[in-house]
Amino acid sequence: MSAEDIARLKPLATTKKQFDFEWDFRQGVERYETWDEVRVGDSGPGMRTFLVEEEDIVAFNRSCLETDPMYLDAEYARGRGGLWQHPLFVVQVVFYCIDTGIGSWLRSPGARNPGQFIELYEPFVVGETISATITHRDKWIRRGKTYIEDVVDLHNEAGDHKAVWRTRLIIPPTRAELVRYASM
Amino acid sequence: MSNTALHYQDLTLDQEFPPVEHQVTQEVIDRAALAHLDFNPVHTNIEWNTRAQVFGTPKTAGHGMLTMSMMASLIDRQWRSAGATVFRMESKLVKPVKVGTRVRCTGNIRELHPREPGRSYAVVAITATDDEGDTVAVANYAVRVPD
Repeated sequence: MSAEDIARLKPLATTKKQFDFEWDFRQGVERYETWDEVRVGDSGPGMRTFLVEEEDIVAFNRSCLETDPMYLDAEYARGRGGLWQHPLFVVQVVFYCIDTGIGSWLRSPGARNPGQFIELYEPFVVGETISATITHRDKWIRRGKTYIEDVVDLHNEAGDHKAVWRTRLIIPPTRAELVRYASM
Repeated sequence: MSNTALHYQDLTLDQEFPPVEHQVTQEVIDRAALAHLDFNPVHTNIEWNTRAQVFGTPKTAGHGMLTMSMMASLIDRQWRSAGATVFRMESKLVKPVKVGTRVRCTGNIRELHPREPGRSYAVVAITATDDEGDTVAVANYAVRVPD
């Protein structure tokens, strides 16, 4: 990532998690999981847990180009039933929890997104700590492309099942190919 | 479809939603990268894209999940204030959204699922197109609607 890219992103960052996260997914790529090495059926916890904070929800809503104060103004929303949460907020939770642990193929340079399946059981609540369990569900080859799919289950600290995301991408087939993309 | 008085029993198949349109600028993509915590270089690294050309173009591309969020906005903007909630999203992303593209989402009610009180839902079929008129994504989103 060039200095220009960072200079462009920096003024847009507003939350602790954003500042705390790696902004260049080419970094550390030699430790990411790769298509050829993933074993279907393997499962494990996410590398981090996600403490839901108001600023995370507002930043996500803003990125969805929402303008209603119920999405953007926590103070305004407080007396009106609480801040609305965009349905795709789960994306931030999952990327944060996976980080560079199990499921890290999600960060692969050279990846393409063929489509996704997400089910939300309960909204995320400010103050909750969300943990992820990631299971390698499937990998397959179709028309010469290497697909992979994990199931990411999200629970709060009370064990309530909040959401499931079947994350699916077309990713480079081998570590050599992943590293080649990363080093371009 | 009024957003102030929404009742499941008033819904009919094929009812349409007002379209949602957005210009996917680099700033929109950058904000999505920060909000999703998805910093894949295909989205944010302008120079890398000129070399890697993952989608056969030297341009950056918007996140598939950004397209999915616009599709959710189609429903949320119309029904959220009336208490409807999107609870299941299934998408197929068929064409990358290059930076600078204008994306337009349209949708209508594809299925009605009557259930016990408080559990009925509709499935909204959504299509996102680019400014060349090509489909970039299709999706079915399930929405719980007040009785």
